[in-house]
Amino acid sequence: MSRPHPGHPRGAVPFALCLALLTALLAACTNEPDHVTLRVLASPELADVEPLLGKLEEDTGVELAMEYEASADLAGRYPATGRPAPDLAWLASDRSFQLRVQDSGGRITRPESTAVMRSPVVVGLTPAAADALRAGTPGGRISWADVADAAAGGRLRFGMADPRRSDTGRAALVGVATAAAGTGGALRDQDVSCDRLRGFRSGQSLTADSSRALLAAYTAHPERADALIAHESELLSLNAGGRLREPLEIVHPDDGMVLSDFPLLLLDPRERGPYREVVDWLLRADVQRELMRRTHRRPVDPDVRPTGPLAEPVGNALSFPDRLSVVQRLVDDYGDPAHGTADQVVFLLDFSTSMRGGRIAALRAAFAGLSGADRTATGKFARFYRGERLTVVRFGGRVLQERTVTVRGDADLRTLDRIVTDGGFDDATAVWSALDRGYAIAAGAVRAAPRRPVAIVLMTDGENNAGLGYAEFLRRHRALGAAAAAVPTFPVPFGEADPSALERAARATGGRVVDARLSSLADAFKEIRGCH
Amino acid sequence: MSRTGTPATEEPRLTTRRVRRRRTPRHVVLAVPVALAGLISLLVSGNTLRPFDRITTLEARMASKSDYFRDPEVRRLLLAHGLRVDIHRLGSRGIATQSLTDTDVVFPSGQPAAKLILDRQDRSVRSVRPFVTPLVLGTFRDYAETLVRAGVATRQPAPDGAPTLYYDLDMPAFMGLLDGTDHGRATADQDHDGRTEGADTWNGIGYDTTGGHSNSGRVLVRTSSVCESNAAGTYLSLLAFVANGNSTPGTRDSGDPGTAREEVRALAARIRPLISLQGMWADDQADSYLSDLGESIAPLSLLYEHQYLAHQIAYQKQHGREDTARVLLYPTPYALTEPQLISLTDDGDRLVRVLEKDERLRERAIELGFRVRFSGEDGTSARLNAYLRAHAVQVPVPNADRTKSYEPDLDVLEQLITSIGTCPPPDRDAP
Repeated sequence: MSRPHPGHPRGAVPFALCLALLTALLAACTNEPDHVTLRVLASPELADVEPLLGKLEEDTGVELAMEYEASADLAGRYPATGRPAPDLAWLASDRSFQLRVQDSGGRITRPESTAVMRSPVVVGLTPAAADALRAGTPGGRISWADVADAAAGGRLRFGMADPRRSDTGRAALVGVATAAAGTGGALRDQDVSCDRLRGFRSGQSLTADSSRALLAAYTAHPERADALIAHESELLSLNAGGRLREPLEIVHPDDGMVLSDFPLLLLDPRERGPYREVVDWLLRADVQRELMRRTHRRPVDPDVRPTGPLAEPVGNALSFPDRLSVVQRLVDDYGDPAHGTADQVVFLLDFSTSMRGGRIAALRAAFAGLSGADRTATGKFARFYRGERLTVVRFGGRVLQERTVTVRGDADLRTLDRIVTDGGFDDATAVWSALDRGYAIAAGAVRAAPRRPVAIVLMTDGENNAGLGYAEFLRRHRALGAAAAAVPTFPVPFGEADPSALERAARATGGRVVDARLSSLADAFKEIRGCH
Repeated sequence: MSRTGTPATEEPRLTTRRVRRRRTPRHVVLAVPVALAGLISLLVSGNTLRPFDRITTLEARMASKSDYFRDPEVRRLLLAHGLRVDIHRLGSRGIATQSLTDTDVVFPSGQPAAKLILDRQDRSVRSVRPFVTPLVLGTFRDYAETLVRAGVATRQPAPDGAPTLYYDLDMPAFMGLLDGTDHGRATADQDHDGRTEGADTWNGIGYDTTGGHSNSGRVLVRTSSVCESNAAGTYLSLLAFVANGNSTPGTRDSGDPGTAREEVRALAARIRPLISLQGMWADDQADSYLSDLGESIAPLSLLYEHQYLAHQIAYQKQHGREDTARVLLYPTPYALTEPQLISLTDDGDRLVRVLEKDERLRERAIELGFRVRFSGEDGTSARLNAYLRAHAVQVPVPNADRTKSYEPDLDVLEQLITSIGTCPPPDRDAP
């Protein structure tokens, strides 16, 4: 075909006019698309775009009928089951959904998806809570680990949407768990095999099915929490709404956060035409600017400059896991945020004479670390927390001392410290008698509170030379029945302990051996925190 | 603000809402005088009848090369040929593995997906490969400089001592940073600052030693889905090529197909962590990288060169200077991608012919950062370089080491992709 305008290097003017003419003719005559109404399943927090939808309809002829429903991964809505199928979905994040598509092995078709805006999941703190947290961190840079530490220590109560129902809650949970794993990468199966968020969770005082409902609950009862974990955009909107006595200080945690990108998904491929119209409209620079102004989300259009508080960089984004099983495990472990159950740990500590000196100092340091002295990020997540029940059993040739505390404050932790520091020693080592006693305590605890998880940590530095034999222990353990079967034992060999015998006990009870000789007693204790 | 849009109140709102139907949109009203003026100018220029020609709308499936077909100038040029392209955007391998019913043309971003598609066609098809573009890594200056200090990247010289936009990346050395170990050890104090790094993190290689920023994240390349995207598949080929001692995997003739498969499996196991440590893939790497939050989301992302150059050209036009914060890493060995426009219908054939013949469409490709081969020319770089120079954008220079990574055979690549990604089986229905 010959070039239409050899004389004009661009030929732009006549052709632009030609295009305009074409548009005008087609629009005026036959091809103007009819008014279309698309059903949109939307995250509740996207209700703030509603005022712009009239303009969208005016400009494109496409009306979005928004149906707000908190949904973590479109389960039950796509592929459609029974209920009328939405044409589009507009979510805070579609990552869980995309992983579900990936896991379906091709049964679920991956819908077209376009990111529309972005906002990180951050923490909003009352000014007092922010000051207190900052005072305890070098450089005043607050991390998720600091939030978890303060929550475990009973110094911070926070609100977060339910990760089982809300994609926002789920993004928050993934962010905190990624920081807790501290690998610098996305969570893998081995990073979530232990529930490291129990201390963090003990501080949750407010929840809701969606973050929109969460913010409403907080506005009605601000005294119920010192902090909210939600999108930066929601917290900025909350502050701007003027309904809080004092605005929340928005903190972008130093250890990174998950960014949501508010994608619009085409669930019914027959609606591709209007879908493209809507997407093109939403990505227009003027619309992006208006979205930013009204919703405080960050534009995806690089030509639209973020203004005001959004001009600040957010820090580092955390990667989302690439396996649905990882997310599912996290969500299951976190459980129902409205009904948290603190767990109980029975520490069986060998106080044979060989523990004297350096070893007992190491034990004391390990307990001090778990009591809040360990200021590493992993230490802040692994520490003893408010509401947790801790039993310490000192043993030699027999049980020397036994004490159970429920952590309510520092005084309880000091009690434990005294037991570990001041206890006397004994010549013999009755490992299996001690474990037998541990199971008696544990079984009693399980019967008293069946929903409370119980685990045993058995630290010993020598071989069994008194009391019950292993076979006798095992017989008695089995006789305890279901109550004991639910309680795993995590042996921690130290010094001259016999790992093979301990290995058998771990296997028989569903726990595992963590060898303190390969790292340190403190690291070994930290490693098994939450592994039950 | 009507904040009542909860499911409970949804139905009443829907029924009471005034439904506007076929009101003349504002742009039509505005366009009428413009259109009249246009008609007059067309009468003058002798093109009167063209707009009344039938416009054929093609259903197309493409990935990142939709950048080209969405360009207003390209659309205008195609309209002059009576063609309009409606784009369904999805990954190249996604295009190749899904049903292609009701599709006129596909434009996979590289050869592996193109071959998969061509293999599925019963009839002989028309196709064209209008341009090539190398695979690159987009990053930000402080990250690039950290890689220079870590000894895996070198600066390309920039004219007049300006800050360079381009770096060469030593892939074998760089891969040592991606594997999450320090020469095989799990932890080490790599930058000798007294703190032990659990892996090759940005802070671990000294990112936190310059100017008040910190990133405790791993050194990772963010890619799109290995299962769906050509860029990720090509990156995988590049990693496999390097891990295989700079030779294409599966080419050594062991005489035994079982052994060959076993070798590919072992290779896949070695490079899997380099991909999977990033966690979940993210679509549209270039959009994320070029967005305001690019440095937060994707400090190191897998791109095509044309995406970056198009950005620099547009940035230079808009701001009168280069975007010196965003810089490119050119891997050595390098990988070149060759998109192929494949027609599946008679209408599609028309588009292929237009793209073969219309020089202006190919010139426009240069202005969008592609490397285009013109007849009678040796390489694909000369005109692009001239265009960049004329538009005050630094010209990238090829590394002296021109080792090129070739994609392995389709079945070897498929084996690598499916074992590294968790990919659904291809949809094999007739297109």
